[in-house]
Amino acid sequence: MKKKKIYPYWFLLVPLALYILFFLLPSLLGIFYSFTDWNVRTVDKLEFVGLKNYIEIFTSDKDYISGIGHTLMFTVVSNIVKLIPALFLAVMLHEGLRGKNFYRTLLYLPSILPFVIIGIVFRSVLNYNNGLLNSVLEFLQLGFLKQKWLSDLGMVWKSIVGVDAWRGIGYVMTIFIAGLGAIPRTYYEAAQIDGANFWQRLRHITLPMLSGSIMINLVFGITYGLKVFDIIYVLTNGGPGHATEVMTTYSYQMYANGQYGMSVAFNTILLIITAVIGVLIVRTMSRKEVQQ
Amino acid sequence: MKKKVVSAMLCAAMTIGMLSGCGGGQDAPSDAAADSGTEADGADGADEGQADEDQGDADDGGQAEGSQDFAGEELSILVSSGWMDNRYDETIARFEETYGVTVDLQTIPADQYSKLLQSKLTTDSCADIFWIQSNPFAIESVIVDPEKYCIDFTGAAWAEKMPEARLSSCTYQDKLYGLQIWHNSPEYVMVYNKTMFDELELQVPSTYSELLAVCEKLAAENITPWFLPGADGWQHQLAFFQIGGVYEQTTPGLYEGLNNNTATFADNEKMLEVLGQFKELSDKGYFGEDWVGTDSTNIANEFGDRNCGMAMANSSIIKQIQEETGTSDEFGLFLIPLGDNDTFPTNPAGPTMFGYKGTEHPELVKAFFEFVCETQSLQEILDNSPAYTNVHMNDDAVEQHWLPEEETFMGSVDASKMGTPVLQTGTKYTNDFWGDFGADMIAYCQGTMEANDVLKNMDTNRAEAAGVVGDPAWQ
Repeated sequence: MKKKKIYPYWFLLVPLALYILFFLLPSLLGIFYSFTDWNVRTVDKLEFVGLKNYIEIFTSDKDYISGIGHTLMFTVVSNIVKLIPALFLAVMLHEGLRGKNFYRTLLYLPSILPFVIIGIVFRSVLNYNNGLLNSVLEFLQLGFLKQKWLSDLGMVWKSIVGVDAWRGIGYVMTIFIAGLGAIPRTYYEAAQIDGANFWQRLRHITLPMLSGSIMINLVFGITYGLKVFDIIYVLTNGGPGHATEVMTTYSYQMYANGQYGMSVAFNTILLIITAVIGVLIVRTMSRKEVQQ
Repeated sequence: MKKKVVSAMLCAAMTIGMLSGCGGGQDAPSDAAADSGTEADGADGADEGQADEDQGDADDGGQAEGSQDFAGEELSILVSSGWMDNRYDETIARFEETYGVTVDLQTIPADQYSKLLQSKLTTDSCADIFWIQSNPFAIESVIVDPEKYCIDFTGAAWAEKMPEARLSSCTYQDKLYGLQIWHNSPEYVMVYNKTMFDELELQVPSTYSELLAVCEKLAAENITPWFLPGADGWQHQLAFFQIGGVYEQTTPGLYEGLNNNTATFADNEKMLEVLGQFKELSDKGYFGEDWVGTDSTNIANEFGDRNCGMAMANSSIIKQIQEETGTSDEFGLFLIPLGDNDTFPTNPAGPTMFGYKGTEHPELVKAFFEFVCETQSLQEILDNSPAYTNVHMNDDAVEQHWLPEEETFMGSVDASKMGTPVLQTGTKYTNDFWGDFGADMIAYCQGTMEANDVLKNMDTNRAEAAGVVGDPAWQ
């Protein structure tokens, strides 16, 4: 068995060293600094403050907890909004649709656009007074549907999730299409002969066989959702008021205010949440794969 | 065995490749520094720059000589939108031509600027020149460590052109770090359409109840009474802070108390009253249908098209409205009447530029500061600023464009009511949380915060900032 191995274990040394140096060590240092009073003035004379930064986050009048809630809410909603339509689009574009490559490209294109460009474009499109969306609605005599897309408390999260879905669906769909390509056609043919309809084929063939792609999309989607920053920063900058603040925007604000200890404490909380959820998903999905 | 050798070679190749990649990154700036004859960072570079400047001062022909030295270099400037805009374009173009350099102007949206700047400074990746909204306390609280981040311009010839009041916003511990070229017009007072008011038989309001009555009549005419651009993130809170005089008048010694940490924003009745009035105007729709989502880019057209009756703006916007929209309407100014305010504040603050100490081009930065202070540059900056009527610099050769409305307004305010600075720059650490306070005001107007919590947050933020700089009053 040993002879069949192409590379020896020590070949891992360089990537492992790089990983430890640039990923593990900074993360551990971050956790360490979150227990200190590290700020712009105390860089050279740090003092250990125990859990003070964490207590401040959870008890402050500034309601940082709402930022944690918003982050979790965005993670769940944005994944639902992206995964389900992306799955159906992938199934549709995997079948013999005319011009499917064109549609695939069209749907994938938004995901290569930088967030800054998306922010500038959609801030303009979603402007209440002279934005494209409201103007089109008025033109179509649908003025009653006009909304304050980015300034109304009831609408702003929907707008953010909508723009995020517009950007991300193509990417998720591409992973699904790759997964669909790996499912043998014979399974579908046999099911069709047995009289299975679309939903039955989806339930009993497509979804189980796509579990790998679903897991990848879920892990990517959840980690993206938990560390979401760009799309919120460019669309609302956490506003109106603090309605769309998430953990990363708070962390960024603290860092910018010179409160580095607080900022890394926020990042540590994010790291713990991400790690716990990530491990849970991978374990659950792996168990399912074994059962299958 | 062969496989081991191959894997060892591959491993070595990877390591060498990686190291050479890292090495290349370091070589580039050293080469550039060597080419320009300067140190990339550290005090040596700054000292060298100082020496060069001294030489340049002594020699009038230094500019032509300097232009050869700087040829091909790039000067980067990091600035918030609204602080330079197009008014510096002509001067920058002339600077580029004179010195054979290029200027990379990095204009950042106002609501993102201060946090971005802090990140750039703390990660040693700042532009050659950066701007802050300075005031007598800002260098310490915003830049925190000017020795580390700013070029020391003490003794520079252009310092004499800055009025004494503005120097206080540019110096720290007797060292000159900043250059503030700003105007001295009435700032952020109420601008109103005089013709419209006359037609609707409206009187200029001097109290809050009178303001409400005016707003009601304008709204009935389907006109936005008070155009307020909340999406900018920095304008709406001016309604609260510009009337600092009325808070001081109601609670004498308030400013001193706020600076000594013996007074708080929270529970201040006058401030609570003003916030309540602001919310009432918002709730009644007198700021417009979507003031939170509206920015200021269209303000001149809003006036020109008679969509609004009033706005909080600089007096010089009158000229801008008339020139850009061609309206024949006349405009006037009055004091912000929230809290029945009758005071007009002083304000030595303004956007101020600083040289970044880590720059690779310290001499070029100094040359730029010299250049923009020349009479020709100041005149260009003023002439290219539709929103300015004057430039507040000690240079009699500059032709100012004062408006009659400004003179009328200033004449109408009692001199005894003009002594208190605006709240944001008259009290320590307040201006540093401008954006946060603005966000809290919006949260309050949208019903997700209480008025006193808005004020409490300001106290908390100021205390944190004081803690960071080790202010003894907050120990």
